[in-house]
Amino acid sequence: MLKNYLKIAWRNLTKHKAYTIINVGGLALGMAVTLIIGLWINDELNHNSHFPQKDKIAQVYQSQTMNGQTGTGPAIPRPLEMAMREDYMDNFKYVVMSSWNTPQYLKNGETSLSRNGYFIQRDAPEMLDLKIIKGEKDGLREINTIMLSESSANALFSNEDPIGKTLKVNSEHDMMVTAVYEDIPFNTSFSDADYLMPWAKYVTLWDWVKRSEDYWDNNSFQMFVQIADNTTIEAVSEKIRDVKKIKDPDLVEFNPEMFLLPMEDWYLRSNFQNGKQVGGRIKYVWLFGIIGVFVLLLACINFMNLSTARSEKRAKEVGIRKSIGSQRGQLINQFLGESFLVVLLAFIIAVGIVVLSLSGFNELARKEMEFPWTSLLFWGVSLVFILITALLAGSYPALYLSSFRPVDVLKGTFKTGKHSGLPRKILVVVQFTVSVAFIIGTVIVMQQINHAKNRPIGYDKEGLVQIPTMSQDFTGKFELMRDEFIKSGAVTEMSTSSAPTTRIWSNRSGFNWEGKPEGFQEDLAWTEVSPEYAKSLGLKIVAGRDFSRDFASDSLGILINETAVKYMGLQDPVGQIITDSDTEDPFEPMKIIGVVEDMIAQSPYEPVKQGWYVFDRNDNGSFYNMRLNPNKSASENIAIIERVFKEHFPNIPFQYDFVDEEYGKKFASEVRVGRLSGIFTALAILISCLGLFGLTSFVAEQRTKEIGVRKVLGASVFNVWNMLSKDFLKLVVISCFIAVPIAYYVMNGWLQEYPYRVILKWWIFALAMIGAFLLTIITVSFQAIKAAKSNPTKSLRTE
Amino acid sequence: MLLQLNNIFKWVQSGGQRIFLLKDINLEVQEGEFISIMGPSGSGKSTLLNVIGMLDAFDEGEYHFLEDSVHNLKEKHRSNLYKEYIGFVFQQYHLLDDLTVQENLEMPLIYKKFKGSERKAMVADMLDRFNIVGKKDLFPAQLSGGQQQLVGIARALISNPKLILADEPTGNLNSKQGEEIMDLFKQLNEEGVTIIQVTHSEKNAEYGSRIINLLDGRMI
Repeated sequence: MLKNYLKIAWRNLTKHKAYTIINVGGLALGMAVTLIIGLWINDELNHNSHFPQKDKIAQVYQSQTMNGQTGTGPAIPRPLEMAMREDYMDNFKYVVMSSWNTPQYLKNGETSLSRNGYFIQRDAPEMLDLKIIKGEKDGLREINTIMLSESSANALFSNEDPIGKTLKVNSEHDMMVTAVYEDIPFNTSFSDADYLMPWAKYVTLWDWVKRSEDYWDNNSFQMFVQIADNTTIEAVSEKIRDVKKIKDPDLVEFNPEMFLLPMEDWYLRSNFQNGKQVGGRIKYVWLFGIIGVFVLLLACINFMNLSTARSEKRAKEVGIRKSIGSQRGQLINQFLGESFLVVLLAFIIAVGIVVLSLSGFNELARKEMEFPWTSLLFWGVSLVFILITALLAGSYPALYLSSFRPVDVLKGTFKTGKHSGLPRKILVVVQFTVSVAFIIGTVIVMQQINHAKNRPIGYDKEGLVQIPTMSQDFTGKFELMRDEFIKSGAVTEMSTSSAPTTRIWSNRSGFNWEGKPEGFQEDLAWTEVSPEYAKSLGLKIVAGRDFSRDFASDSLGILINETAVKYMGLQDPVGQIITDSDTEDPFEPMKIIGVVEDMIAQSPYEPVKQGWYVFDRNDNGSFYNMRLNPNKSASENIAIIERVFKEHFPNIPFQYDFVDEEYGKKFASEVRVGRLSGIFTALAILISCLGLFGLTSFVAEQRTKEIGVRKVLGASVFNVWNMLSKDFLKLVVISCFIAVPIAYYVMNGWLQEYPYRVILKWWIFALAMIGAFLLTIITVSFQAIKAAKSNPTKSLRTE
Repeated sequence: MLLQLNNIFKWVQSGGQRIFLLKDINLEVQEGEFISIMGPSGSGKSTLLNVIGMLDAFDEGEYHFLEDSVHNLKEKHRSNLYKEYIGFVFQQYHLLDDLTVQENLEMPLIYKKFKGSERKAMVADMLDRFNIVGKKDLFPAQLSGGQQQLVGIARALISNPKLILADEPTGNLNSKQGEEIMDLFKQLNEEGVTIIQVTHSEKNAEYGSRIINLLDGRMI
């Protein structure tokens, strides 16, 4: 029986090639999209699942409230460590202090590389269960040690055995390699750990870290924990909540609350709003999940529509089969079997498409996914997926076709009733509703990105290069280097700053000024700069004056941005004196000398933060900012800069970033979403059009005789085209009116997350509607014109 | 007695009026009969045949087939009944276009759940009996009308039905092919198969043992 069904199904497929290509091709495309999205979602959901102890690992987070605003983040103060170890240790298996990811120069002989990694406490390798290739797992026991990832070890030592060898770190510290561990997989939060060095070393490296040992208000570090086996993350969170308030009652006014964020939430649910966890990347998982389901739905609708449209051709077969003894159930099985065959075929093609496009997709989505050939789970899920799709796509035709009465179809009096096309029409409406909504959504995402990209950023980012200068080698050399670089002709102006142009690295409070409201808890972005900062960036002075080397008093001067003027409530900012709010051992009073235009240093979607630019008195900047000579090409300039750099810092790898590129990275996530949704939209539209194309050809075929009669009676090609197209265009118009409110609602919600956002204009919707309309006309016209031009004598004779 | 129709009525509702397709049909058919149903177009010949073949329902009356009361049976039992005892032959042959001659013959056996080896033997027998062994791998479109109808009859016969219902079996054939088919029916009848045919042709009706005339759904 089964063999027979399959045989018939196969012959049916090979006989009607165009139909098969549309049907199988469309379904394969839809499945490929769903498969890729499925792989992507799986990868997202399994971020960090590499770590065996993932259910027990957490990061300590902190919420603090300032002026009624609660901010939440992973930054914690250093004394928390001792508090945990002394008072709370029975809740934990491991408590691990860690630095932020810090790039360091690692040097072995002549090979010098910049590598990312962490200064972290000794239990980390055990907690993360690092796979040790060489050396010992407890490799951070001594202070001057370093553990390397396999790829870093290979890059630095090539074929040598690195264990026991000494690396020069930042050209001043000798660190002995104690272990080489397998690279931590890409889809984990520690994939950027090229090296691990002891926390104990970190504490000795910088004065400010040393000094922070007892300060509960210096939130500059992070802490990872693995909880004890007999407790839960929620329970421990509850216990440690008030630790900071207990240990430093002075800070109670900020209401600091500590809690644990479980490892499974780090990647997908790390956003907080007013102290509440509000998701994060998980929204994209939902977004693409929904897109995947819809695209598959579109493909299934094609299948249903084309199968039922063909029903008249197969009605006779149903009649014959019933008259020679087939029961309805057997026919249902037969049609479901055919559906299964088509879906299976489509799945095989879809797997092919996925395999071929995976590397491209990986690049687009910044992933390292592989096709799970050996995963039983994948094949199991796929089988279920195939069965569900086959059922979804095949059930309607199966039930519909098998319901025909043999007398009707065999007598030749069978006509599909007036309303038999209704379900088909509804399905077309669903398809186009989804497509139009996708078009609108994609256009709005693109618009929002462009809107933010076109936002005035306050400085000139073109032709601006930054060089990291965090190593001690650069200390005290700024003046010299500025002269050298300007003399070389590659640079017209240069400054140093304590943070990159595109970031805020430091926030401060504890100041007093005239008219400061009682109890106001200020929070100001703090950047230390050399006097040429505004000039090198092209930042405009809107009041007062820039720093000048001519005035010695400028070393206590401050430039503030326009937002800070409003934030501090200053009427006449220039000349205002800033004093320390801490009256024991206060710093020297500072003076506001000028106001600069707001520049975007953080998210281009958010308002500019109130900020101060203060004179860098210690020549301790983290970046050189260089304005390139506009009369030379960028590559010439860079070559010259590199040469000068190498002359003065032969031990340090030359690294540089174009600020405009760095700034562009702020859009990476949105651009990625925009591109992906653009591609998926295009595919959704393609699938819908493919289905519409197939459907029109069937309708045209069905109405061949009618068209013949009409033509004999004098209908023009236009009349016939109009007759055939009208029905479909009506459906598309209905779809548009359903899609627009849905798209408006969803996209408006999406935009609410961006304080700086595009205003939704009516023409976006009109454009999407016109686009869908034109697309339909083109698709339908292909068949309609062909049918309209056919010779009526031919079509009438075949009856 | 093979089947019996008592006071069968069938109608359709049209504008508040009943239009009768079959009106008070009483018919008794014995095993081994060869009956021809005649009448002008629209007189209800095919409807009657479909009612007898259980492909079509009726609105009033009783229908007994062997031991069973068809009017009381559910769809599934009815289809089991006709699957078991009745074979259909159509004017337009109604072979499955996508299947070869051999596969077309096999089809009813599949629905009756015969085993593969049995099916093969029965199909081979039938091909042999109808002298179409050489055509077994051809598709219907590759055969002449007469040959297609031969296959149609072979398919109707393959599961050894007690009754063959033929709706104008020669209607699409030329006279020579038609004669051959009618001869075949006569021969089958002599071998014991009950046959009921619908026909327009007086000549074909002569092959039968009894003629029923219909006019406007009524037996005359």
